[in-house]
Amino acid sequence: MPASFAEPLALSLRDVVVDHPVGGGVVRALDGVDLDVGAGERVALLGSSGAGKSTLLDVVAGLVRPTSGDVEVLGRRIAELGGGALRRHRSEVGVIRQAHGLPGALRVVHNVNGGRLGAWSTVRALASLIVPMGRSDVDEALGRVGLDGLADRRTGDLSGGQQQRVAVARVLVQNPELVLADEPVSAVDPRLSADVVELLCSTTEREPRRDAVLLSLHDPTLARDHVDRIVGLREGRVAFDLAAQAVDSGMLTSLYAPA
Amino acid sequence: MRTDLSRGAPVRATDLSAKDWPQLPKPPRQVFKWVATTIIAAIVLWSFIGLDAKWSRLLDAPADLYTLGRLMFSQMEASEIRPLIGKMWESISIAWMGTLIAAIFAVPLSFFAAENLVGRPVAWIIRQVLNLLRAIPEIIIALAFIPVFGLTPMAGVLAIGVGSIGTLGKLFYEIIEGIERGPIEATDAVGASRSQRLRWGVLPQVTPELTSFILYRFEVNIRASAILGVLGVGGIGTDLTQAIRFKEWGTAGLALIIVVVGTIAVDTVSGLVRRRIVRGPGASSDGGSFEAHEAELIAESVND
Repeated sequence: MPASFAEPLALSLRDVVVDHPVGGGVVRALDGVDLDVGAGERVALLGSSGAGKSTLLDVVAGLVRPTSGDVEVLGRRIAELGGGALRRHRSEVGVIRQAHGLPGALRVVHNVNGGRLGAWSTVRALASLIVPMGRSDVDEALGRVGLDGLADRRTGDLSGGQQQRVAVARVLVQNPELVLADEPVSAVDPRLSADVVELLCSTTEREPRRDAVLLSLHDPTLARDHVDRIVGLREGRVAFDLAAQAVDSGMLTSLYAPA
Repeated sequence: MRTDLSRGAPVRATDLSAKDWPQLPKPPRQVFKWVATTIIAAIVLWSFIGLDAKWSRLLDAPADLYTLGRLMFSQMEASEIRPLIGKMWESISIAWMGTLIAAIFAVPLSFFAAENLVGRPVAWIIRQVLNLLRAIPEIIIALAFIPVFGLTPMAGVLAIGVGSIGTLGKLFYEIIEGIERGPIEATDAVGASRSQRLRWGVLPQVTPELTSFILYRFEVNIRASAILGVLGVGGIGTDLTQAIRFKEWGTAGLALIIVVVGTIAVDTVSGLVRRRIVRGPGASSDGGSFEAHEAELIAESVND
């Protein structure tokens, strides 16, 4: 259900097209996507690989510039942001990407603190690599993702699922207004993945501002149980955009059917 | 390097029918082989004639070597061991200081030579600077520093320092260009500044390999500093040349033994430290891929 006009939108995409240059030509990753996410909403993106889920999240995060179309996130037009404004914007958007980007040589505590780089001065960031700052917040975040006592381990020594949860903890300490997560639980075992998705979604409940959660998932059941709305993507276009309970198995079958 | 599966599947060998297989190239014509052989033989012959070496002496060499060896071992004096070890230590110190100076300059330079961190034009310019530094032999740099610093270890330290910047810088930017983009993008995604991105996204990925190559270069530089001693800038090389000049064969023999033993000892310790740094504490079996990469880079640097 789209948010009413009175409420501010967390994000709004209008006719967004993204072409990725490949070799001599281009591959159209998004082909005219319209999407509104209201404040406090939890939205899941479903679709087979190559449907454009990751690209859509990158566009909202300001990491990929659309070829055409308008993108407004947290009330700002992304295309107009540059330099410091873009960095400030990124510090308010929490991103978990598929390649979660945790240097394996760093201790877990530093990787979690990496979420705060946007809020920290350079001096503080450098000092923190020697004596980790905000230790209690880090421990709390690690506790919430079920990684108590692992703060001083080398990140590269953790399992794939544990590393994904470190990436979730990094977003928790970042305390962003908008959470974007690309397959945040693909390597987490099923029992824990429900908890982690719930945890990500609950970040919108703490302080109802313009907060919202947009995440791509591979598991439709997980999506139906935890989000308000499901957006199906197919070949760069929105195939359906419905309340989670309204999505039936026939829609999912045609969403994942081969072209 | 990232690959995208959606960008067209690679052609598999099994997809090709027999007629699609590329034809084997025809063997090159024999004429070329003979022409090439003749040219190479001519060059070799020419350089032999050009060298004013007394080839007849080659026949006497084994006998001369035996005489020298006998003189060395018969004239050795135990009292000289201690001062010579002190001189070897001086050579090692020269190498260490020089290597550190090189690393201090090479690390920042390599960031500006890596195309994944700066624009291509900047990287190109810095690479030319590194190439230039790599092209000048240490001994020539030392000759340039001697008028300024005199025959002091400082001249040797600076010669080794300046001489190693080029090679270390080249190895470093190749390592930096091989890192994963994920951590860099992750720091960008939280709004980090450029320096924070470098410190949190780049350095944690490259520090072990950088440290390892600094240590490797230190091993190379110990040999270099022994050679520089020949110029008289200090270290065991100076004693070795003087002993040979004054025909003090016992001292020369001892100095040679100390150079060999000292170099092997430092190489061994440094090799152990490097292995430990690269594999990390506790990890023992997964260093293979890095070692292959390291061997490849080292092979390149040896050619410099």
